[in-house]
Amino acid sequence: MAPDLLWTLIAFFLTILVLSYVLGDNALFRMVMMIFVGISAGYGAVLLFYQVIMPRLITPLMTAPPADRMVLIIPAVLSILLLFKLSPRLSILGNPSMALLTGVGAAVAIGGAVSGTLFGQISGTISLFDLSGLSSAGSAISQLFGGIVLLTGTICSLAYFHFGARKKGGENTGAQPAIIQLLAGIGKVFIAITLGALFAGVLAASLAALIERLDFLINVIKPMIS
Amino acid sequence: MRAPLSTAIAIGAGVLTLLGFFIPIESLTSMRSLLIEWAVLLAGVAGLVAIVHLLSVHWRKMTASHNRSVTSAFLLVAFGITFAAGMVLKPGHPTIQKIVTHIQVPIEASLMGVLAISLTAAAIRLFQRRGGWMSVLFAVSAFVFLILGSGFLSSFANIPVLKDLLAAVNSLPVAGARGILIGVALGSLTTGLRVLLGTDRPYSG
Repeated sequence: MAPDLLWTLIAFFLTILVLSYVLGDNALFRMVMMIFVGISAGYGAVLLFYQVIMPRLITPLMTAPPADRMVLIIPAVLSILLLFKLSPRLSILGNPSMALLTGVGAAVAIGGAVSGTLFGQISGTISLFDLSGLSSAGSAISQLFGGIVLLTGTICSLAYFHFGARKKGGENTGAQPAIIQLLAGIGKVFIAITLGALFAGVLAASLAALIERLDFLINVIKPMIS
Repeated sequence: MRAPLSTAIAIGAGVLTLLGFFIPIESLTSMRSLLIEWAVLLAGVAGLVAIVHLLSVHWRKMTASHNRSVTSAFLLVAFGITFAAGMVLKPGHPTIQKIVTHIQVPIEASLMGVLAISLTAAAIRLFQRRGGWMSVLFAVSAFVFLILGSGFLSSFANIPVLKDLLAAVNSLPVAGARGILIGVALGSLTTGLRVLLGTDRPYSG
């Protein structure tokens, strides 16, 4: 049997076994999932070793100048300490490594949220109110209307996620302020439309994948029959 | 104070990285780069630790005296073969790429295909269990954007009024998405600040 045919048959049977889930959860589907997780974990481990640990730690430790090697001792020690997380009794030794990871991760998240999302989204919302480059009054009104809708939708969607409660006599009443309730009601409409659009996008992508798989199955079966 | 050393490391590393982001001083930016480099390396090691933990859990499930899991053996064998082949041949080798393109990709694509059927079934169930105007609005929105996404209306895009109408409809989900994105960013900001102030210490477990 030609190697390419063997690989195609493997892909063919795996596709059928995964699609068998449509008829209900079954042992063959679970077996394929375990194979999938095993292969993904194996490939992931190989990639982590060859693309992260090898070039960033092992190779520099062997080839870098002595001064650079001294600096690398810190992440090397932290990496070794992280391995203690595998043992429930000694896992506390891995906490400093996790702390560095969490601290840097939090700082990167703050930087990304502020400069990437907050500034970007807010300036994107504001830019629609800049009418200086527009030639006709009609397009200016159209853009202004679009900007007002977008601004209203953004503010109201944000208000929908406001979970603060009104205080009365020093105690939470459990009820939102009336203005927030009104904005949240409008926000609900925008969020339903957004989730509908996202659902449509995911459904379209998954339908395309299903069609591609069915096309693959037909292309494998067709030569066998003819 | 619980875990003072870890807290000091988290706050110190976090504050130095954050300063390197917003203050353009050479020493701060190079310190930020170094710390991110270390964090990437530690994330890689953490990934390996997670994989080893996954394997140990499945090994225990496979060798348990009661309720032994036979399917865990498939995971361990699949991991062993892929890992050994990958370590010997390296990730770019054609055989390793065949494993990816003929095993991983077909399974992922088929799972995506199954998702189409599951999503349709879930949408029908949503209508059966939870009616109301929100469900109707959700369904109408999904239907309209499926038609818009299919390109069915692209032949009418030259008609001026319809063109403006399509542009207006397309901008509606942007407003909600923008609100959600800003909400997520504010949530990330608050969570990050809680870690940097030492209020949250997820590393001290």
